[in-house]
Amino acid sequence: MTWLVWRQHRVQFLAGAALLAAFAVLIVITGLQTASQYHSALVACTANHSCANLSSTLFLGSHAVGFLVIMTLGAPLLVGLFWGAPLVAAEAEAGTTQFAWMQSVTRRHWLVVKIGWMLLAAAVWGGVISALVTWWSGPDNAQQLDAFNPGRFDIMGLVPVAYSLFAVALGIAAGTLLRRVLPAMAVTLAGFIAVRAAVALWLRPHYMTAVTVFYKVTSGFTPPGSYWRLASGIVGPNGLAVDQNTNGAVLAGVPVTYLPASCAPASARGAFTVQPSCARALTQFHGFLTYQPAERYWAFQGIETGIFLVLAAALIAVTAAVLLRHDA
Amino acid sequence: MTPALATAALTKRYGKVTALTDCTITVPEGRICALIGPNGAGKTTLLRLLAGLSQPTAGQVTVNGATPRQDPAFLADVGYLAQDIPLYRRLSAEDHIRAGAHLNPRWDAESVRERLTSLKIPLDRAVGKLSGGQRAQVALALILAKRPRLLLLDEPVAALDPLARRNFLRVLTDGVAVGGLTVVLSSHLVADLERVCDHLIMLASSHVQLCGDIDDLLTGHQVLTGPRKDTTAIERSHRVVQVTRTPRQTTLLVRLNGSGVPVIDPAFEASDVGLEELVLAYMSQQSLGQDARPALAHLTTVGEDQ
Repeated sequence: MTWLVWRQHRVQFLAGAALLAAFAVLIVITGLQTASQYHSALVACTANHSCANLSSTLFLGSHAVGFLVIMTLGAPLLVGLFWGAPLVAAEAEAGTTQFAWMQSVTRRHWLVVKIGWMLLAAAVWGGVISALVTWWSGPDNAQQLDAFNPGRFDIMGLVPVAYSLFAVALGIAAGTLLRRVLPAMAVTLAGFIAVRAAVALWLRPHYMTAVTVFYKVTSGFTPPGSYWRLASGIVGPNGLAVDQNTNGAVLAGVPVTYLPASCAPASARGAFTVQPSCARALTQFHGFLTYQPAERYWAFQGIETGIFLVLAAALIAVTAAVLLRHDA
Repeated sequence: MTPALATAALTKRYGKVTALTDCTITVPEGRICALIGPNGAGKTTLLRLLAGLSQPTAGQVTVNGATPRQDPAFLADVGYLAQDIPLYRRLSAEDHIRAGAHLNPRWDAESVRERLTSLKIPLDRAVGKLSGGQRAQVALALILAKRPRLLLLDEPVAALDPLARRNFLRVLTDGVAVGGLTVVLSSHLVADLERVCDHLIMLASSHVQLCGDIDDLLTGHQVLTGPRKDTTAIERSHRVVQVTRTPRQTTLLVRLNGSGVPVIDPAFEASDVGLEELVLAYMSQQSLGQDARPALAHLTTVGEDQ
């Protein structure tokens, strides 16, 4: 059965491997450049004690490769569309299930071997891309501290493996139910984007209760490491949020229209001496930050991976139920 | 001896459409059985049920002494070739031969290579690039290489030229003569079937019309030709399958009752019936039964009104 799976799908597998190899070459070459650039910049800034504003002065890598790295958000879709969707649908369309299922091999065996190899290939695809992207983004993560942010979280660590498995499982299930390749591809495309967006937007922020910190606007607050900012703002003396969308002058994040006249731009400008009455008024304002701390990164990766693995397993179960119970 | 296949009250419905109704048939081992019927009669449905590719709505199927099931031993003993000749279009005949070797316990790869080489069919070309007839030859060679005990073929010779058809049917009869093989094949080419088949299943409108040894079926029917006159006496003792009336004479195709007593009416002349004649009689009976009856009823009503 493995022989047949390889013979049938070798073009797909080889095309995938070629894409992966090209991507790896690009990432390794530019990644090495970026790493050495970052290290020499670190050495230079340590020498003249200017590392604090390194992130604003140093630009790492190239725009093109950076764009390609972000585009790996769509990499799971490729295997879902071109490996998953045709797996059963192409055979149903051509009637070749009637060839395969009349050999001395049970449908269950056929399904296990075919889906097993496809899932393994998808996991390798997602895993290799994720490993490359994670490695390539190392200096960038250290500098920008944004690995937990949506869009970055989704292309590194474990989750790309789970997304790839989910995409392939979705393609297989859609192909099994629809029995036509093109509609199955359309459903895979729409379904993958919808589920990924729904989980990232509505579920992920709530995997663990977010931390909210109130702080004095005059001192400010930044959590350590690559935290994920969910919400932030300033609360006034009346307990209501301050509308920060203003074109006017701002003092410690607070628009001066909320402050007494002593905080007016004319007095605030110049030597930055804040009048005592203005300073007193500012103590009435508090900043707040709702966020997921950096140390929860791997817990979130684990939870998101688990969700997509469960979804993938459910789709495979649906596929098996349809293929084993229904007429060929 | 257990029959190669048997069904009891077999029924298959697809939603509201009934493809097969209350089908009870038996085919003994070592037969070549013709499966005949008009388009849409349920032939493919019956073959797929026998192959285990679809599940019955009601009734039982027994093939090689067992209910069709997902089990390598059962599958190894049944060969089924669908009408649209399913092969992997991008794979070559050689690829299919090697796939078969991986997927079957008994696999006669050499016989396929020999057969296809003698037919000058390239083994290394993608089967999608072969002609329809060549593709059919590849599929038939593959199904024979599996060495099944029961071979179910859905219009296998439709794509073949007359010579290839005759050669293939000879391969089937040779296989059956060696022993251990039973064949069921559907076809519209009654002349071909008459040459090789010794058993017949006839379906029409999802019902079994005839099932049995062809010789028995032929001796069980007679054609009666006589003057145009009342035939109620004959209809009382035998089942009339078809009546053809011309101004001068009446021709009846009758199924003799169980004891096989010849029809005693000196005015009628009895003669034997051929397979094609028999098949056509049952087919036209079916189409009349469905279409003509309402029309006649309508005419009668109009006549009474006047």
